[in-house]
Amino acid sequence: MSGPGWFWAVGALRRVVGLGALLALGAFILGPLATLLVWAFAGTWLFPNLLPEFSLRWWTYVLTNADVGKAIRMSFFSAPVATLLSAVICIPAAYAFARLEFPGRRGLLLSFLSANAFPKIGLYVSIATLFYRLDLMDTFLGVVLIQVVNTLLFMIWIPTGTFRGINRNLEEAARDAGAGPLRTFFQITLPIALPGLIVAALFAFIAAFDEAQGTLIVGTPNHVTMPVLMYALVLGYPQPVGAVFSVLLSLPSVILLLVTQRYLRAGYLAAGYSL
Amino acid sequence: MTVAVAIALVMFLFGVFGSGGVGAQGPVTLNVYINGDTNIFDLWNKSLLPAFMKRYPQYRANFVALLHGEGSQGVLDKILAAKQAGRTTDVDLWETQPSFVTQGEPQGLWVKLTTALIPNLSRVPTQKLVATDYYGMPYRGSSVVLAYNTAFVKNPPKTFDDVVAWIKANPGKFAYCDPNTGGSGQAFMVAAVYKFVQAAQFAGGTYDPKAESAWEPAWQLLKDLNSSMYNNGFYPNGNVAVLQLLSQQNVYMASVWSDMGTDYLKRGLLPKTVKLEQITPPLFGGDSTVTVPAGSAHLEGVFQLLNWVLTPEAQQIVINQVSGYPGVDWQYMPASVRAQFAEVAKPYSPLPNSQYLADMLRLWHERVAGSK
Amino acid sequence: MDRAHRGWKQGALGLALVLPPLLVLVFLIVVPAISAIVTTLTPPGGSGPTTSFVNYAEVLATRMLRADIGFTVTVTLVSVAVVFLLSYPLALYLRFTRTRATAILGVLFIVPLFVPVVIASFAMITFLVNHGLVSTILYRLGFERFPRLVYNATGIVITQVWVNIPFAVLILGAGLQAIDDSLVDAARDVGAGSLRTFFSVILPLNITSTMITLTLQFIGIFGSFTIPYLVGGNAPQMLGVTMTDYLTQYLRRTESATLAVIAFMIAAVVGVIYVLSVSRRERGERVVR
Repeated sequence: MSGPGWFWAVGALRRVVGLGALLALGAFILGPLATLLVWAFAGTWLFPNLLPEFSLRWWTYVLTNADVGKAIRMSFFSAPVATLLSAVICIPAAYAFARLEFPGRRGLLLSFLSANAFPKIGLYVSIATLFYRLDLMDTFLGVVLIQVVNTLLFMIWIPTGTFRGINRNLEEAARDAGAGPLRTFFQITLPIALPGLIVAALFAFIAAFDEAQGTLIVGTPNHVTMPVLMYALVLGYPQPVGAVFSVLLSLPSVILLLVTQRYLRAGYLAAGYSL
Repeated sequence: MTVAVAIALVMFLFGVFGSGGVGAQGPVTLNVYINGDTNIFDLWNKSLLPAFMKRYPQYRANFVALLHGEGSQGVLDKILAAKQAGRTTDVDLWETQPSFVTQGEPQGLWVKLTTALIPNLSRVPTQKLVATDYYGMPYRGSSVVLAYNTAFVKNPPKTFDDVVAWIKANPGKFAYCDPNTGGSGQAFMVAAVYKFVQAAQFAGGTYDPKAESAWEPAWQLLKDLNSSMYNNGFYPNGNVAVLQLLSQQNVYMASVWSDMGTDYLKRGLLPKTVKLEQITPPLFGGDSTVTVPAGSAHLEGVFQLLNWVLTPEAQQIVINQVSGYPGVDWQYMPASVRAQFAEVAKPYSPLPNSQYLADMLRLWHERVAGSK
Repeated sequence: MDRAHRGWKQGALGLALVLPPLLVLVFLIVVPAISAIVTTLTPPGGSGPTTSFVNYAEVLATRMLRADIGFTVTVTLVSVAVVFLLSYPLALYLRFTRTRATAILGVLFIVPLFVPVVIASFAMITFLVNHGLVSTILYRLGFERFPRLVYNATGIVITQVWVNIPFAVLILGAGLQAIDDSLVDAARDVGAGSLRTFFSVILPLNITSTMITLTLQFIGIFGSFTIPYLVGGNAPQMLGVTMTDYLTQYLRRTESATLAVIAFMIAAVVGVIYVLSVSRRERGERVVR
């Protein structure tokens, strides 16, 4: 079989491959972001210079733009609310899909896939008319509802898988010990499912945050979100301006990343998450 | 977890009660929707509206930008849906492409503008108002012109055919934007079409799809130019993208809007060696008009705003900010201004009507871009 | 008696819990979608049969639209394949190796998840465009010519890959986490090489997350708008952009809706494949733990 020499070689090979993969992935992922960062501090950057002439003048240009602040506030209010609302209505449903038997279970579960499959452009006129009848146009709730629609898929499927992966024996043991169904859920099931639910919430948040086409109709003029504003900024302004906006608008995301990265370690997801 | 829920709840309440402008007393808020590019947004947002609000403090203005027309269909649908639901719409003023105004006319979506409503309307040349059926008020104008870098172009072309010859002789050094994304690109496409047909036939109110077969030679011409275009036939996304190509000297010549070109030159975003000139027959141009939805809840305020926009004070802002042509007749502008614009303020070709333009855009994509 | 009663109660409870999100789905997706489909089945002109497939025939007869449909399918398949080929090794590496690199890689691959798609597209363009960062570096190193990497299908694929790696790695990784180390060790003890272990042991045990990843990636990339709009070329275009152009620029609402339904049906086919593969597994499921 294999002697220690072979193991050592494999170990070294593994380390080299690991390092190579790290460098390649790092360049691919961080490269574009780094370029944008440099552009944000560029006065002008002409080919073939490797670096631009640095300047902060575009920051003044951007920071005096009132629309930016408004859009950031709107995005960071509406997306968390949409995620929370989605969680409240979807997690019990996910539990039902995972644990309960009822007619049409599989068909209904599949229908949530359809939510993401039909292109939104075909829908937005009808949605606008409906919202007008219900007085939801240009309201916070209207924007939130549009964002919730984008989160349904993640908030149903991932928690369903999470709940399914929890060993039934644990729940049955709690029941045998005399705990009622609600108590079992909150004290046994939920804690184990938590990492999977957090991942679901994360994806749902991002989907809500990135929503642009529906929000444009429903949210204008008073409820413009970041993505709606971003198209204009990236297409209509000189390069450094788009870069400055991108840096500003990524800052909250970076903070979110640092705060939640614990939960995204594969180890945490192991706790009962299997589909 | 509880903390997170509490925070979200607070934000929700904040969002619900802090949103919307439903003030019983206090200033009236006018919602102004403008379709265009960033220089026009700055014109309204940074100059016109603040000056108006200073002059008439009882009004506040809320500005909504629709870049390159993105979302225009949605706005029209909103106005229509409001009418059908029997409500007022929150769109008080809309600057948009004529096609959307045309779509709304049969439904009675717009206010017919008269001097009774807007006294200063008398300063606008009548034919401009007739062209929009009195549904649109022109407040600025511009046309697409040829921009070229004199450092690389010693003998600038004077006619459209000269331009075509120059492009073939200098492959990769000319660009026009994808017509879907900007008027400067549309103008070049339309100039090719107008070479083979009578412009008037397609700029009026009639629409006959069968007449479009006359456009075939234009598609052939533009298709042949594909390989001589910038980057072997790449058409950038938007007016600004082309200006950027020009400024980075990736191309030496392009079709650009007169107001955008002049503005970029003024701000040093284009090299000083770039010049703007109109060719023969001229590239198209037109007046930008604003339309008032009949379902607006603040008609009185809107008419005040529009009346003010036609004053010399406001028209001067238009000229200074965006180097546009005024909406009122030139005689109402000072002589110095008239002299300043002599080179480019020549008559321009008319815009094709919205239905023909829509078909042109589709056919350009099929025959020119899609045929590589 | 008692068991039947319990079964009925469970069924009712299940339906009740599922109702809220279902209502959202029905009112905001199903009803508008049906309304759009009905529009496409109505022939133009108003005379003749009340439903017809004339609109679909016209769309499929247009060369440019067939090209766009084919282009979208191709770009999506290529993107999904590349994401898959990059994510699986990464997920496996993170699962089965514990070195210092693992910790850093673990944070690194998540980064694109937090970058809004518009910014990601813009960043990719500045990075890969001719006279952008990569081409300037290569130019300095002596490479005169630089291939065109943006404003075409290549750009779309590269950006889609960048944007989709985190999600794929997370889902695959979660599935891999559930595979016991002992199973892999057992395979190794029997003498199976890495590749054999992967195909015979790991992949079959991870089939559900694999299928989910492939399905969701396909549907997401197929219907995307932002990336093709900013990074794509003029023609052919991905269907998301084509549909929007037909609605807003060419003023052809019916064609736009027809394209939407066609896109939906293609995405639905992929969804059906997923369901069939999962059902087959569920029917013959034995708990292996």
